[in-house]
Amino acid sequence: MTAIIQPGASSAPRHDLLSWITTTDHKRIGILYLVTSLLYFAVAGALSLAIRTQLARPDNHLVSAHTFAQLFTLHGTAMIFLFVAPFALGLANFLIPLQIGAPDMAFPRLNATSYWMFLFGGLVVFAGAATNEGAAAAGWSSYAPLSEIKISTGLGQDLWIGGVFLVSVATILTSINFVTTVFIYRAPGMTMWRIPIFTWEMIATSLLVFMAFPSLAADLILLFVDRRLGGHAFDPAYGGNAVLWQHLFWFFGHPEVYVMILPYFGVISEIIPVFSRKPVFGYTGIVLSAFAIAGLSMGVWAHHMFTTGAVNNPFFSFVSYLIAVPTGVKFFNWIATMWRGRISLQTPMLFSIGFLLNFLLGGVSGVMVASPPIDYQAHESYFAVAHFHYVLGGGSLFAIFAALFFWWPKMFGVKLNETLGTWCFWLLFIGFNVTFLPMHLMGIDGMPRRVFTYASTGPLPALNLIATAGSYVMLVGVVLFAWNVVVSGLRHEPVGDDPWDANSLEWATSSPPPEHNFTKLPPIRSERPVWDLRHAAATQEHG
Amino acid sequence: MQVQTWPQIATKQASVMASDWVLFSIVGLAVALLVWGLILFAIARWRFQPGQAEPPQFRNNYPLEITWTVIPLVLVMILFIYTYQAETRVDATSPHPDVTVHVNGYRWGWTFSYAGGPVIGGAATSPVGGTSAEQPPELVLPLGKTIRLEMTSSDVNHSFWVPDFLFKRDAIPGQTTAFDIEPNKLGSFVGRCAQFCGLDHALMTFTVRVIKPGEFERWRKGVQHS
Repeated sequence: MTAIIQPGASSAPRHDLLSWITTTDHKRIGILYLVTSLLYFAVAGALSLAIRTQLARPDNHLVSAHTFAQLFTLHGTAMIFLFVAPFALGLANFLIPLQIGAPDMAFPRLNATSYWMFLFGGLVVFAGAATNEGAAAAGWSSYAPLSEIKISTGLGQDLWIGGVFLVSVATILTSINFVTTVFIYRAPGMTMWRIPIFTWEMIATSLLVFMAFPSLAADLILLFVDRRLGGHAFDPAYGGNAVLWQHLFWFFGHPEVYVMILPYFGVISEIIPVFSRKPVFGYTGIVLSAFAIAGLSMGVWAHHMFTTGAVNNPFFSFVSYLIAVPTGVKFFNWIATMWRGRISLQTPMLFSIGFLLNFLLGGVSGVMVASPPIDYQAHESYFAVAHFHYVLGGGSLFAIFAALFFWWPKMFGVKLNETLGTWCFWLLFIGFNVTFLPMHLMGIDGMPRRVFTYASTGPLPALNLIATAGSYVMLVGVVLFAWNVVVSGLRHEPVGDDPWDANSLEWATSSPPPEHNFTKLPPIRSERPVWDLRHAAATQEHG
Repeated sequence: MQVQTWPQIATKQASVMASDWVLFSIVGLAVALLVWGLILFAIARWRFQPGQAEPPQFRNNYPLEITWTVIPLVLVMILFIYTYQAETRVDATSPHPDVTVHVNGYRWGWTFSYAGGPVIGGAATSPVGGTSAEQPPELVLPLGKTIRLEMTSSDVNHSFWVPDFLFKRDAIPGQTTAFDIEPNKLGSFVGRCAQFCGLDHALMTFTVRVIKPGEFERWRKGVQHS
């Protein structure tokens, strides 16, 4: 058995504010990331409720057109750049060193830098709301020329550029950290083909970040030069090109979708085996499919541009279809993992199953909009809104809750309440589907996205009212989660190292883990060292 | 103007796209039902019961894994071939369109310039189109003729969308793209801007009125002489 020597292990860890601000401990940075991204989620969720309330009936005057544009711009920006992607970074920060048996990340100070850049990047975006002309209002995709200074005159747009730029650089830096850590800091016996699937998915995610995020950074710089330094990159009157923004943006933007989903494929791949009491089925297939998805996703960006008339639609359509294959492989692997298992429906598993059921519909509508003749109707309509919310809301968000319930005991040493958790699941699952299922029909019926009002005749008023009602059911679910955190924290019933009878190495240390993670490591002879340990002990007892 | 629950399939191209919608919906929902069924079956069949022995610890089955890679691959190839054929028919342009209209989108309205006149234009007024006091700009088209529409914009990106035609095309400054449609239903249809373009994006509607070819010629002369 390998022992890790801990210099200074005798001094108790400090818990004052200064120690959190100055921390370079990956677990604390991970928790800071998670808490910050959840706070941004609360804000973005509140914005979405304002959006749904405005749209509860046609010709509503709750907010002005300008406020509405800021609402959906900040909602999209916060959900994508400040919640779904950084939550995964936080989870990876906490988990990767624990899962591979390392004492910390490869570059602890760089890690802290990334976190603070992410936090302040988000604050800079929101600071726009305090300026005279309000926050950015050109949508999370900020298409030029709309986002150019001639039209979007306010400082809010510049702050949006600066804030998103900070977040994108932070994401690149932290991805460098993940890849280096996994390649160099694995414990003895932890070969690449034994690292947990979540860690594999984070490697694929990090590679995507390297390829995609520089394109976003370049796009943002060009836009800033256009706005403030007299450039004309996107202005056709001076030889610029209005479509260029979209190319650079979606060259980042579609891989970004997978940056927001691959980590959660990893989460699901960790949870389903534990609650089925079986090893993950087709480990190699799941890992390879992650890289197939990552590779293919670099060649699909212009499926966001089928209606521009400026791209080769069949090529981008074809590559988009191919992504359905490795995604399908993962689904079949997860089902085969459950097959003939011993399935217990505790909250992490409930949310994982919710993920499977919802994400599947997002996948089906994804294959639909990958067909240009269908996309000609669906593009920029509520059908597209329904599609990507099934992927990121029904998919990623449910996996986020699964992850919170699953790893909460490891992070804080207490379990979240199961009864409240089950209620939280059902409220979110029902609320989500009531909100977003009708949006498919709204889109087919001709409702464009990003509108503050809609036709008062026909089916749109009824469909919108249903969707708004659903969003309030989701609110109750989220509030219940917050309540659960408070209640479970106050009761403070400590859990052991391994409350779920889990598989991977993070469950071999205490909950929460000590400052340098492990006082001793079990032997690592498969991708389930903790399972091996438990069964070796059982065999000895009975043997 | 009548408001329909479901988009009317009002051009020749739209019928091609409608069949694409139907095929993909059926195949997609069939696959979804199969997979949902497998998931729910597994949960119902192998729920945890206290005192049960550990389940079998199998972790691979290569023939099975190859099968569930190859079958979806074949399926998406078939879907791609179908979609490619449909798109080729939808995007086909005629060398000699009967009517050509240059469409310019701007914040917030549309200008329809017919080759050989007239020019129709106007600002947007309501999210509904046609029911407000002020009429939105109207694009008048002859039934059963090939119409060439050329899209551009004079400020930011817009998108010309007629839900009843199941079709939209972006209007982007600095580029002109063209497509053909052949209206095959008489009536008035709502058109909208689909690409967010600022405050009045939601109100940037227009009307497409499809009339008989003889009537169209009279309308054209009437507008030009008035």
